[in-house]
Amino acid sequence: MVHMEKSSTDTDMVAPPDRLRLQDVMVRYGDFLALDNINLAIRPGEFVSLLGPSGSGKSTILNVINGAAHPDGGRVFIDGRDVTAVPARERGLGMVFQNYALLPHMNVFDNIAFPLRIRHWPAERIRQAVTDILHRMGLEGFAHRKPRELSGGQQQRVGIARCLVYSPSIILMDEPLGALDKNMREQMQDEIKALHRATGATFVYVTHDQEEALNLSDRICLMNRGRIEQIGTPQEMYFTPVSEFTATFLGESNILAGRLVAENLFRSECGLSIHVVGRPDIPVGSHAKLLVRPEHVMCVAPAADIPNRFACIVENVNFVGGFIRVAVRGQGGGRLQFKTRAHNDYASLQIDSEIHLGWLASDTVLLPA
Amino acid sequence: MTTPAMTRDRTGALCTIGPAAVFMVGIVGIPLLYIFYVSFNGLHFSFYAYVTLLSSRLFFQSLWSTFETSILATVLSVLLGYPVAIHLARQSPRRRALMMILVLMPFWTSILVKSYAFTIILGRRGLINSALSYLVGHKVALPLLFNKFAVVIGMANYLVPFVIFPVLASLLAIDPALGRAATLMGAHPLRVFRQITLPLSLPGVIAGASSTFIISLGFFVVPALLGGRHDVMLANLVDFYTRETLDWSAAAAIGMCLLAIIGLCGVMAATLRKVRRA
Repeated sequence: MVHMEKSSTDTDMVAPPDRLRLQDVMVRYGDFLALDNINLAIRPGEFVSLLGPSGSGKSTILNVINGAAHPDGGRVFIDGRDVTAVPARERGLGMVFQNYALLPHMNVFDNIAFPLRIRHWPAERIRQAVTDILHRMGLEGFAHRKPRELSGGQQQRVGIARCLVYSPSIILMDEPLGALDKNMREQMQDEIKALHRATGATFVYVTHDQEEALNLSDRICLMNRGRIEQIGTPQEMYFTPVSEFTATFLGESNILAGRLVAENLFRSECGLSIHVVGRPDIPVGSHAKLLVRPEHVMCVAPAADIPNRFACIVENVNFVGGFIRVAVRGQGGGRLQFKTRAHNDYASLQIDSEIHLGWLASDTVLLPA
Repeated sequence: MTTPAMTRDRTGALCTIGPAAVFMVGIVGIPLLYIFYVSFNGLHFSFYAYVTLLSSRLFFQSLWSTFETSILATVLSVLLGYPVAIHLARQSPRRRALMMILVLMPFWTSILVKSYAFTIILGRRGLINSALSYLVGHKVALPLLFNKFAVVIGMANYLVPFVIFPVLASLLAIDPALGRAATLMGAHPLRVFRQITLPLSLPGVIAGASSTFIISLGFFVVPALLGGRHDVMLANLVDFYTRETLDWSAAAAIGMCLLAIIGLCGVMAATLRKVRRA
């Protein structure tokens, strides 16, 4: 999950000009506000994922960028040039589609040569370029196959090859791995990551799969109901979410509702007093939410010296792979569901037995209510 | 070996296509056999009807006229129907359903009535000639009626929907992402049409054109009402033999010849397709 070579944002001396910028973009479908005041700047060579549930507006952003949707307000800039009114075919973009969008009546060679023929490249140069890209994508020997004779993974490789062959500076990907099975998805993620590094192109990647976004992106732009919920590096998004939406969308989470009663003390609705790290934008006395990631919830000894330690009765245990869900009843009678990292010991958790759960104050994140 | 599942399949097939099959055998198969029998003069077996036809100039003239008219009507129908199909394919499903009713509306009127309507539109003193006379200020009488032009117009008027529907079906089967992808790669709309829309809709065009052509070959009312003396088609010739000369054998033989020619066309088309596939 950690890929330090990519988080170079803090070492950049001077910010280079934006490759792509959306300014106050608004899109309305009838009464439905599909995009509400979107401001997004993407630097050259960056890999930005647009992540969000379906209907959150992530695909609409892509359509605004590629010219398929016209914003009802705001502007789109590519390399500083206002392209809001420029037709799709003149924006010089590349795009990879979820369902590949290969031309079914043409073979692999002609599909990849298609954008080059539009550009009137001489035949010999086209042959060379297509041969090179086929080699690079591991598609040698498939040049004369029709798309329907290829597997899903191979078809998407052709789709990517067709996009890379004319070296667009911005490559848009609309859930490119959505139609592939899990193993193929993981393999293709690595390939896409390698291609991003090798080409240096700017990637805008739409997905609803948080793992894909976390793994691939320099920055993630999380969408919620037509707005940008949060934008940041995968680490920022995961460890310092600004809202409950981000906290629950990325990774597994335990969320407690309550009130901040002192600068570093949170009282949950179920009566727990929890030591936390305060946040300047959440004043003492206000309602708030508290996030504790499952991997930070520990099963501790009754006498453990830890600021947040609670005795409770196990009501139910669900083992769901990487983590387990424990339903517990607190001393005050309040019921809680806790997700915690799966471990062999938990197999011995007995229903109705008393356990002590605990976590560090530094592992809590306060969120606005 | 017959498994219960196979028995069930067979029962299902019998129930679903059985009635139509019985009906078709009854109203097409058996009469066709009878026509075949009549064409060889029934009990007094003889080739004379075929010999008469093959030595008749009128037969070959009508045969030629039938094919010429059918090809022209087919081409005109495709040219008129294809853009309509394109337009329909671009509408929202709701709007498209409404517009498809409009496309089918001409079928609510008998072809006989529509052909009479064309005599009013195309006649010497018809709508078009009157309008033109009014516009240019003196009498215009373009020969629009009782010729091949009128026949082709009248036939295409009836046939266009037979092109629109199969073409529309193949247009709707084209993934809209293909056009978007090509546009993003820099393709002009004309290139998108030429290299994507047209080739991918060709199966619909071929299906529409062949059914239009086959329907055309049997046209009777339109050439009878809108055509001239030289626009006799085979169906009119059949009518002539059955009603004027009462030579049923010759009439039946014409039918058999037409059927044989269409059958031959079908076999040729199928072979061509196989050769192209290989």
